Amino acid sequence: MIKKVLIVDDDQEMLLSLKEGFEKYNATFSVLMAGDGLVATEKLKQETISLVITDLRMPRMDGFALLSEIMEQYPEIPVIIMTGYSTPEMERLAQKGSAVGYVEKPFMIDDLAKQVLATLRKESEGGTLHSVSSGMFLQLIEMEQKTCTIRLLDKTSGKEGVLFFCDGELFDARTAGLKGEAAAYKIFSWDEVNLSIQNECRQKEQKVHRDINAILLEAMRLKDEAGEAEEPEVVEEEIEEIEELSEELEPETPDPLIRIQTKLKEEVGERCGLEDIYQDNSWDGFMAQTSRMGAFFGAGKLKLIYLDRAEPNDLILVPGYKTSVLLVNSKCPRDRIITILSE
Amino acid sequence: MKKLFNDILNMEGVDGIILFSFKGELIYKLFLSPLPEEPENKGWWGLFIRSLNGVREADLIFEKSKFYIRKTEIGYLIILMGIFVPTAMVRLNCDMVLPALKRMKISKKGKSIFKKK
Repeated sequence: MIKKVLIVDDDQEMLLSLKEGFEKYNATFSVLMAGDGLVATEKLKQETISLVITDLRMPRMDGFALLSEIMEQYPEIPVIIMTGYSTPEMERLAQKGSAVGYVEKPFMIDDLAKQVLATLRKESEGGTLHSVSSGMFLQLIEMEQKTCTIRLLDKTSGKEGVLFFCDGELFDARTAGLKGEAAAYKIFSWDEVNLSIQNECRQKEQKVHRDINAILLEAMRLKDEAGEAEEPEVVEEEIEEIEELSEELEPETPDPLIRIQTKLKEEVGERCGLEDIYQDNSWDGFMAQTSRMGAFFGAGKLKLIYLDRAEPNDLILVPGYKTSVLLVNSKCPRDRIITILSE
Repeated sequence: MKKLFNDILNMEGVDGIILFSFKGELIYKLFLSPLPEEPENKGWWGLFIRSLNGVREADLIFEKSKFYIRKTEIGYLIILMGIFVPTAMVRLNCDMVLPALKRMKISKKGKSIFKKK
């Protein structure tokens, strides 16, 4: 995904020079521009920005005020300060305002670019996971008592959100203009997300004071209520039309357990050795650990795990919203089953 | 130590091996191409190893690669390979390595034989 970097400076020539100088990095990030802090705050509302580079001395809203605004509203966004009027006091103030970097003009564009790339890489330094449920990554965070910032993308709606964890505790959340618990309820209602983990939490003030399980329950309750409220009234005359249309549509995506069983039956038959098949969330943590290992080696998406536990039955784990668990006996043609299920 | 794993590493499509103790400490690693980062810099290996919870063998299948994990006397051996590598051959080669690893455990000089690369 191409990340967006917002550059804020009242010097138009500087903006254009930086935009031009950063063009060779456009496979990694694109550049947005703002002439002062006020325009920058509007851009921050409209776009998902990964990094802000800002001058300090600007009209209407200077770099310090912008830095303060970002820390309050978007604590997950790192800020690099650039200025031509550097003093030790100014540098100290910028760092006190939680800027991640400070560059003095004039500077080499490629040096700034290196700083930008290093900062953007931190967004996913802890790893990325695809198509996971909120329950899966919460187990991961809680297990490890992790301090991190998690950026999420809801695969259904395309909405983005951020969660801040400190020692495994949820400190804050942000999504679509919402903050704190309201944002957390929204994020935890998402069924399937892609997420990236940054190994630090820049939010120092705890804005969420409820237990994670309580938030999850409330998120599900609110989601159910919203679902009921949005159900359209279907007029009787429309029912026939809907029924006709549904006959033309492809059949619904089958339950994953049925899909797996059907596939094994068709390709292997009775010799597949399948003794039981069910879904079990208790494996989500292990699946998340394994996914992270795969991410480290650039192995791509996790497709399947085969476990021989030196017991009468082996296990096959298939990732999904809920982990599908297959219990197979010793007659199971292991490599063939692995090939079939990982296609 | 490279000699011990030579037959595995010489298999076409095998990209590397890594051996962890049961506590998640790195004992040995060898990769045929450089990694973006050294595995020992990541603190979550211990958690991953512990999550294996005594599993004897595991096949982890990903989009682009797969891993074969084998429990040994001294820890878990993890073999990284391409998706088309015949895992049965890798298993057979591991069967041949296991007795040597067992002897390492028994030997007083076992630990010093393994160098971190």
